Order: sequence, then C-alpha cells, then structure tokens
Amino acid sequence: MTAKNVFKTAALMKEIMARYNDAGKEAKKKGIPVAWVTAVFPVEIIYAAGLFPYYPENYGAVAAARKVADKLSTAAEARGYARDLCGYARCGIGDAYADEHPIGEILEPDLLFCCNTQCGSLPKWFEVAGRFYNAPYFLLDSPRVGLETDELCKGYFIEQLHEMIAFIENFTGNTFNYERLSEVLALSNEACRLWNEILDTAALKPAPFGFFDACFHMAPIVTLRGTQEAVDYYRALKEEIDERIENGITAIPEERYKIYFDHIPCWPKLRWFSDLFASRGALVVASQYTHSWAYSFNLERPLESLAESYTHEFVNRCFEYRVQRKINFMTKYGVDGFVFFSNRSCKPNAIGLYAKSKLIRERTGLPGTVFEADMSDLRFFSEAQVLAELEPFFEQLS
Amino acid sequence: MKRTELIETFESALINPADQVRQWKTEQNSGAIGFLMSDVPEELIHAAGLFPYGIINGKAELEKADTHLQAWVCSHARNSLALALGGNLDFLDGLIVPQTCDTTRMLLDLWKHVRPLAYMEDFRLPRQVDRPSVGKYIIGELERIKYRLEQYIGRSIKPEDLKHSITLYNHNRKLMRRLVDLHAQNPVLISNRELYTIINAAMIMPREKVNELLVKIVSTLEDDLNATEVDKEHVRILLSGTLLEPMDILDYIEEFGGAVVGDDFQNGYRYIEADVATRGSLIEALADRQLNRIPSAAFDPAHNPRRFFLANLANEKKVQGAIFLHLKFCEPENFDSYDNLQAMQNAGIPAMRLETQFGRSGLGQLRTRVHAFMEMVGGENV
Ligand code: SF4
Ligand code: SF4
Repeated sequence: MTAKNVFKTAALMKEIMARYNDAGKEAKKKGIPVAWVTAVFPVEIIYAAGLFPYYPENYGAVAAARKVADKLSTAAEARGYARDLCGYARCGIGDAYADEHPIGEILEPDLLFCCNTQCGSLPKWFEVAGRFYNAPYFLLDSPRVGLETDELCKGYFIEQLHEMIAFIENFTGNTFNYERLSEVLALSNEACRLWNEILDTAALKPAPFGFFDACFHMAPIVTLRGTQEAVDYYRALKEEIDERIENGITAIPEERYKIYFDHIPCWPKLRWFSDLFASRGALVVASQYTHSWAYSFNLERPLESLAESYTHEFVNRCFEYRVQRKINFMTKYGVDGFVFFSNRSCKPNAIGLYAKSKLIRERTGLPGTVFEADMSDLRFFSEAQVLAELEPFFEQLS
Repeated sequence: MKRTELIETFESALINPADQVRQWKTEQNSGAIGFLMSDVPEELIHAAGLFPYGIINGKAELEKADTHLQAWVCSHARNSLALALGGNLDFLDGLIVPQTCDTTRMLLDLWKHVRPLAYMEDFRLPRQVDRPSVGKYIIGELERIKYRLEQYIGRSIKPEDLKHSITLYNHNRKLMRRLVDLHAQNPVLISNRELYTIINAAMIMPREKVNELLVKIVSTLEDDLNATEVDKEHVRILLSGTLLEPMDILDYIEEFGGAVVGDDFQNGYRYIEADVATRGSLIEALADRQLNRIPSAAFDPAHNPRRFFLANLANEKKVQGAIFLHLKFCEPENFDSYDNLQAMQNAGIPAMRLETQFGRSGLGQLRTRVHAFMEMVGGENV
C-alpha cells in the first residue's frame, strides 16, 4: 500500500477497534463478564448472552505486528514454555507473567471459551490461562472432519452448544435469549456477506483490494462479527472500494500477476512482504485465512446452523479437502502462482504444506513455493532465506 | 526356559521389530495394522483377526522424513514416518493415528499421500472427557472405527471375538501390572530396563505369545521374591512424560542407585493401566475405558488433573524424586509442563525436566544430568 493508497476507512477502523478495546475495560468496571473466545468460535452465542467477547489471538497478532512478540514470549520461556509453541499462546502466557507490557495488558477473563476447530494449541493455552486467572473454562470440542459432512461431529457439537448455554446461564443467572441470538446471527450473516463481497473484488483485473489489505481490514470480522458496528464498517469499506473501482485506483501500482497465499501473514513483516510482492507486480489476491469468515446462518435452526459452520470450517478438514479448497480459490481468482508459508507457530496449517504444494503444482500446473518462518517471532525470520525461496518463484512467473 | 531366556525373547523382539509380525502374518495369512501412540483400541484390531502393531520401536533415519515433516515436528511423528519411508514398516496393511495434538491432525493424511495403505483411519479422540455429550460421541467414533475395520476384512466382527480379545488384553495388562508391582517391591528381581523392554516389546508381539511368556516370568519372579533380599537402598524415582525415550535413561537411573517405581508414559503405565469390562455392550465398555484412563496432556480438563495424579502417585509410591522426560516439540506436554513441575514442588518432591528426542537425545549429557539429580535426591547412597 503506497501512501496515497491508504483507505479512508482505515481511520474508521482504528476508531471502532479503539472503541471495542475501551468497551472491554468498561465491561470490567460495569461488571459485564469478559469472556475469552477463539477466532473460529460461535461468538454469536456470547454476544447474545450479553457477555463481552475478548480475542487473545488478536492480542497476539497485535503484539506480533508491533514486533514485540519475542519480548513477551521471554517471560513464558523463562517458565519452560518452549519457543516452538504457537506465538500467540506465548504472547498471552508471557503477558500474564511479564513485568512490562509494551502493548498494554491482555484483558483478564472472567470465564474462558475455546473451540478447537482451529487447533489443539488454543485449548492448551486457554487451560493454562484458566488456571492462571482462576476463571471457569469451557471447551467446545470439534473433532476433525473429512471430505463429507459429518453427522457424528455435528451432533456432538450441537449437544455441546446446549451444554455451553447451560454453563453461561449458570454463570450469569439469566435465561438465554434465543430471539436475541437470531438478531445477532442476522448481523453476522450481513457482515460476512459484505466481507466476502469485498474479498471478491480481488478477482478484478486490476484489483482494487488484495490480501494485504484484507489483513489490515479483518479485525472487525473476527472480533465484531454479530454486531451492527461490523456491518456498518464493511458497508463503508465496500462503498470505498466501489469508488476506487470507478476511479481506477488499484491495490498495487502495476498488477501483472495474481498470487494465492497461505495462510496467516508474517505480522512483523507485513509491510516488507507487501512491498516485495508489489515491486514484482504481484498482487496477493486470496488466502484461506482471510476467507475463513464466510458464514451464512439459518435463523430457523440456529444451533444446528452454528454447528455446521464452525465444525466444518476448512482448518478442521482433511488434507484432500484443503487441497481442493486451495485449488478452488486459485481458479476463482485466476492466479498465476501460489506461495505457502510454512509457519512454525501454526502446526495444524503448516504440517503437510510441502506435500500439498507438490500436489497442487501437479494438478494445476501453476508455479508455487513454500518458505519457512514464524508468523510472530522475528527470531525465526531470515530475509535472506525467504528471498532464496521467493526470488526463483518470481522469476518463474515472468 | 530360564528367566533370562524368557526376557531375551522380548529383547530380541525390540532389536528386530519386524520379525514376529512377519512370521505371524505368514502363519495366519492375515494383515497387520500399525498404530501410533496412544489410546488406540487394539482389542478391535485383534478381534478383526489382524495384528495390532505399535509403531514406537526401531531406529529410523530421521532425515527420511525431512521432505514432508519440518524440523520442528516432534520426533515421534518424524521417526514413525521415517520408518515407513525407509521401508521398515512394509509389513503393515493399515494404520490408525489417534488425534492427540496438532501434529497428529494432519499426519495420517500426509502418510496416506506418501505411503498409502489399504486401511487408514484417524481415531478422532475427544478432547473433553467430563461432560455428558462425550459419551455418545466416543461410542459413535468407536463404532465408526469398527465398521471401517469390518469393511476392510469383508465381514463383521463377532461379539464373542471382541469379548475374547478384550479378555486376552485384560489378562495381558494384569500380568504386566503385576510385573510393575514386583519391580517396585524389589527392583533387584527385574530391572528398570527389563520391565520396560517387556511392555514395549508386547506392542509388537502376538499377544497370545506375550501372555504365555509373562505367566512364566511372573511365576519365576514370585518364587524369587521370597528368596531374594530386598535392596532397601534403591532411590525411588517417578518418571513422567509422553513417551519413554530413550530407554537408556532407565540404565542411568539404575547405574546411580535408582529404581523407577511409577510412570505415566504412553509406552509405560498408561498402556497397561486400564482394563475393559466384558459385560454389557462391549463398545460402551471400550468407550468407558477411554474416558477413564489416567490423565494425559492430550485431553483438556481445565484444572490439569494430571499434576494431582502425578503428585499422588509420587506420594503413594514414596518416591524421592521425579524426572520429566519432555519430548521436544510435543506441544500438549509442553503446555502442562510448568504446572506439573510446580505441583511436584508443592508436594515437596524434587523434580527435573530433561528434553529428549527419538534417536537424537544427547546421551552423554542425559547421563550427567541423571547422575547429578540422583546425587541430589539420593544423598550418600548414590
Ligand atoms: S496454532 Fe495456529 S490456529 Fe492455533 S492459535 Fe496458533 S496460529 Fe492460531
Ligand atoms: S506432539 Fe506429542 S502428542 Fe503429538 S504426536 Fe508428537 S509426541 Fe504425540
């Protein structure tokens, strides 16, 4: 993103995220319970129950983007938590023990909710946090799903949603309000719809919006999904993008290639990557990461619908499903090649990437490469090493 | 056969891990299903007339896994895949991988891709074990595994066959638990190394044969128990971790005057601790066993019951020190590690953590650290 290319809505986003953070602190004062939740979690239930949802992963991402993940991690490492654990978890655990808080303290939970659709690191981290903060913890267990829809896993999840609602009722003393849930679900649907319309504009040639923009604008779809703020925000962003399309403003100065990227960005090097790709005329247009929030809930059968969406999310699917999904994105966005980030912080996504890359090259004939780094910790980042993987790839493109 | 000869059978099984399974396959004209650690319902595989083979033994060239599993993946996964890629598991017709962590999550699929086998399944273990919803799920998952095995063998698993297998395995576990007791009562009777050699070799030998040998070993040891003087000077040690590796650690502990009197390894006590009921629905019985196993890092009750379990075990066995073998890159274990060490400290039990890796542990350093620890907890006896 060049300076003139900065989105007007960027200011709006800073504002609503600041408001969200303030609301968290306010909640503490007002006695509204702060509930830790995970990114791929039926937060709609938390909003409907009137709890304040807080996203420790987001805290980790912010720490990473501000290049202090390694500092926070040290306090965890001093207690034997290995450097090889997920960087977000190390930031969260590190902050609990740290004396210095370079990005402010994580918001302490009154209760914790975790869904393990994403990974097995989150539940372990949240358990540790539950013990540290002495707060009740609830795990929504989501066993892995294969190519087909899985009734066993779905049924198990629905039963657990009932258990979770009872757990919340027991904590708050209030009866759960299903009408309110419907409203929240409708707001989630609308935000997801707008977000995906925005992501789709990356398919235009040249495109007004790409993956690195999406990384910048994704905070509300993660944290405020289910609220009017998220809907308003993405409406404003969509309008701005439409204007850009009319005025011929593009995401990068000269778009020659479209690239598919997996998965999470390397936060402390976001700018470095986006400049690097832009300098080669390569626009990263899609990643399964930014496309994770594409829900469409059926208000007639809310719990079932929540269960279907959150258990069958791609991160919880088998190898073949994930290969096919990547290829579908590549086709939909008409990419010229792909880059996979073997992120040592995120084993559930990085393990198998080399085999997937080879298979996808064979199936699509597209050039592609894999590089090693960490999404948050610069101790595991070497520019030279990354360039050694990417340079030959760029050459292949031309 | 003398005691030493009996134990030698187990030792040679570990040295040549493919011999017995190959021989069995030829004799029985049937297949073998490999499984990774842990908690896989071997009884179902056995009842299907197949050979359950625990992939834990055998030194692989780890580099063989490099193209597929990054250097930061745990060495259990890397070692296992490297064994397969090196042709050391060619006798397998199938594989079950239990879902215990982020590594196992993609491992079976990856394996399927690089070394496809006729039967390949994930055992999708639930992560929570204490809410009612889990009951129906785990039964459903066990039914699924059973159904897939039946599809593979082309006939159904008869209830009487399953009952027979469960009984066989229960008997096996009982015999091995008896060995553990005898060892704890008098470590001179059967050494650390011998005890764990038997438990690990059992995973790659025909279970019927294992039981036959164990009956004889137990009876010899029981005779000896009365005849041998108990060496009261042994320093009693608790070992804990995901997997007991390297086995050399057992020798070092012994060398410096120690005896391992308790553990919770997947290739140790966790493997033999829980029996399965033989009455009522057998699938339900298998499910119950799974839900009531001793705590492990792969399951997520918030309060980490494992630390209390370990502290209790330490007290019950009157241990003088606890050593945590931490398999490098094993995340579930790592997340609990600090709390487990704290729990030992709170219980007044000296504890230390050693980092290990399959085939890559620095043995000299391990020995030095064990020596120092044994001196600290054993005082002048060491
Ligand atoms: S392991 Fe991956 S999915 Fe899990 S919290 Fe870390 S980055 Fe997210
Ligand atoms: S990381 Fe730990 S739990 Fe997972 S496969 Fe390796 S040893 Fe087993």
